[in-house]
Amino acid sequence: MADALSVRYPSTSKRIIAIVGGFGSGKTEISVNLAKYLAATEKSIVSIIDLDLVNPYFRSREVVDELEALGIKMIAPRGGQSYADLPILLPEVKGALEQRDGRLILDIGGDAQGTKAFGSLTDTIDISDYEMLMVLNSRRPQTDNPDGCIKIMERIELSARLKFTGLIANSHMIDETDEAVVIEGYNLARKVGEATGLPLVFLSAKSDVLSGMDTSLLECPILPMTRSMLKPWEEKK
Amino acid sequence: MAKKLMKGNEAIGEAAVAAGAINYFAYPITPQSEVAEYLCWRLPEVGGAFVQAESEVAVGNMLFGAASTGKRVFTTSSSPGISLMQEAISYIAGAHLPVVLVNIMRGGPGLGGILPAQSDYFQAVKGGGHGDYRLIVLAPSSVQEAVDIMILAFDLAEKYLTPVMIIGDGMIGQMMESVEFPEKYRKDNDPEKSDWALTGTEGRKARIIKSLFLDPQELEDNCILLDEKYKKIRENEVRYELYKVTDKNRILIIAYGTMARICQTAIDELESEGISVGLMRPISLYPFPEKEVYAEAVKGNIEKVLTIEMSTGQMVEDIRRCVMGKKPVEFFGHTGGIVPTPIEVKDKIKELLG
Repeated sequence: MADALSVRYPSTSKRIIAIVGGFGSGKTEISVNLAKYLAATEKSIVSIIDLDLVNPYFRSREVVDELEALGIKMIAPRGGQSYADLPILLPEVKGALEQRDGRLILDIGGDAQGTKAFGSLTDTIDISDYEMLMVLNSRRPQTDNPDGCIKIMERIELSARLKFTGLIANSHMIDETDEAVVIEGYNLARKVGEATGLPLVFLSAKSDVLSGMDTSLLECPILPMTRSMLKPWEEKK
Repeated sequence: MAKKLMKGNEAIGEAAVAAGAINYFAYPITPQSEVAEYLCWRLPEVGGAFVQAESEVAVGNMLFGAASTGKRVFTTSSSPGISLMQEAISYIAGAHLPVVLVNIMRGGPGLGGILPAQSDYFQAVKGGGHGDYRLIVLAPSSVQEAVDIMILAFDLAEKYLTPVMIIGDGMIGQMMESVEFPEKYRKDNDPEKSDWALTGTEGRKARIIKSLFLDPQELEDNCILLDEKYKKIRENEVRYELYKVTDKNRILIIAYGTMARICQTAIDELESEGISVGLMRPISLYPFPEKEVYAEAVKGNIEKVLTIEMSTGQMVEDIRRCVMGKKPVEFFGHTGGIVPTPIEVKDKIKELLG
C-alpha cells in the first residue's frame, strides 16, 4: 500500500523540519512517522527532538526504544526526568540545531504556549535551511475554519520568532478518522494556503484510511502513517 | 454539531459551560491544568469567570461562599490539590450546598508523580474530610462519558443539595477522543426560585447557611437530615455498566474508569482463546452498586471475582464487603503511574483459573 503512494511522499531538502501546531493536531504522530520515513529512505542520520515541554502524556519520548532500534536519534529527557512536571530543555537541543549535517525533526509542544521553548532557540537556526510546518486538524474546535487556523498561526509565529514555510493537512479523529474527515482537512488546508500563500507540503493520514480512498484527487504529497501514541487498551497490532 | 476531537480536560470545561456552570474557581495542577487553561478564555465568552485562587484551600472556601448564592459552581484539581480542599468540602456537605468537584487523579501519596492513578478512591468515597458526610462520586471511562457525567453532576448536586465529585485517572484528562455536546445549551439555574439560596433578604425572611451547630440536638438533627439524603441517593442513583456478562463467565472482573477499558481488551482476547470473562464497571462509586455486585458475583459459574485498580487495592475493600465471602475476591493492580496492560490482565486471569 505504502508503495503505491510512495511516488507522492513529501520531499524537502531542508535540514531542520519543525512540526508545529495546535494541541491535538497530530504533531507527535507526524514527527515519529516522518522520522521513520526519512530514516528508511535517506542515508543521513535522522534525529528527533521531543520539544514538548507542556504536555505531560503522549509525547514522542514514549517511543524512544522503537525509534532508536531504527537508527533514529532521540533527544529527550531520560529516566525519571522524562516524567517530571518540569519544562526541561536539554543542552543537546541547541547543539543539534547548530550542527550542519543530518536531518533534524522537532516535535514542538502545542499552541503558542508550547512553541515558546522552541522560540528561545530559533536564533541559532540557519534561516535558509529550515521548514516550519503548521499541522492543521479541522476536527479540533479552534482550527475548524480558516480564520481560526490563521489566528493560531499568528500567535505561534510570534512565539516561535520564526515564519511558517508550509502547511500539513492532518485532519483526524484518531481511530474514528474516515475519508470524509481527511477530505475536509484537505479542503481546509487549501483554503488556509490560499489565504496565507503557504504551500501544502503534504497531507498525512492513517495508512488504512488512505488505502481505502481515491487519493488521486489530493493534489499534494501524502504521508501514510501508523499510530504510535497508543492508549493502554489499544494493543500494537 | 459535528463530532470534535478534544482532550478530556478541555471537554470537561466545555461540559460545564453546557451545563450552565460559568463560575469556576481553581488552581492549576498537572494532569488537570488544561481545564483552567481552556476555561480562562472560554468562560468570558459566555459571561462567566474563572478565578484563580491563591491555593486549593482558598478554592474550597470560594466554592463554599459562591455555592451559597445558588449559582452553579465548580472546581477541578488533581490529588494533592483535592487534599487541600477537604476542610471546605466537609463544610459544604454539612451546609447542604451543591458543588461539583473534579479530581483528575495522579500517583500518590505525597507529591507523588504526574502519571495516571486511581489511588484517591478512599479519599473520595470514604470521606476525605471530617464528619458524617458522603459525596456522590462518579467515575467516567471515556471523554464522552466525562462530558455526560459532568452535566449529570450539576443536576444531582442541585437535586440533593450535596457536593458531587467526579474522579478520573490522569488519562481521562490527558487523552484525546471524539466528543459531542448536547445541542441545546442550558440556561443557568435560577437562584431566585430556590428556597435556600442567599439572594438578598428584600421582601423575605433571612436564610441561614451554616455547618456550625453548637446545640448537640440541632447537630444531630442535621446529621440525620444528611443521612436520610444519603439513603435516598443510595436508593436512586446507583449507576454501573456490564460488559460481556453471561452465564458462561468463569471470572467477573470489577474495574472502574479507564482501567475498565483495558480489561475489555483483555476480555475480548480471552474470548477468542475460549475463556469467558465478564466485566462490571461501577460508574457511581458512591452510591456503590452493592446489591448488583453481590448479584453478579454469586451467579453459578463465577469461580472468582477479580478487582483491578491503579492502586494497591482500595475499591476491592468495598467489593469484599458486598460479596460477603460468597466467592473469593482477588486483586491486581499497579501504582505510581504504571498502568496495567491487557497482557498483564490476561496473565492474571489465567493464573487465577490455574
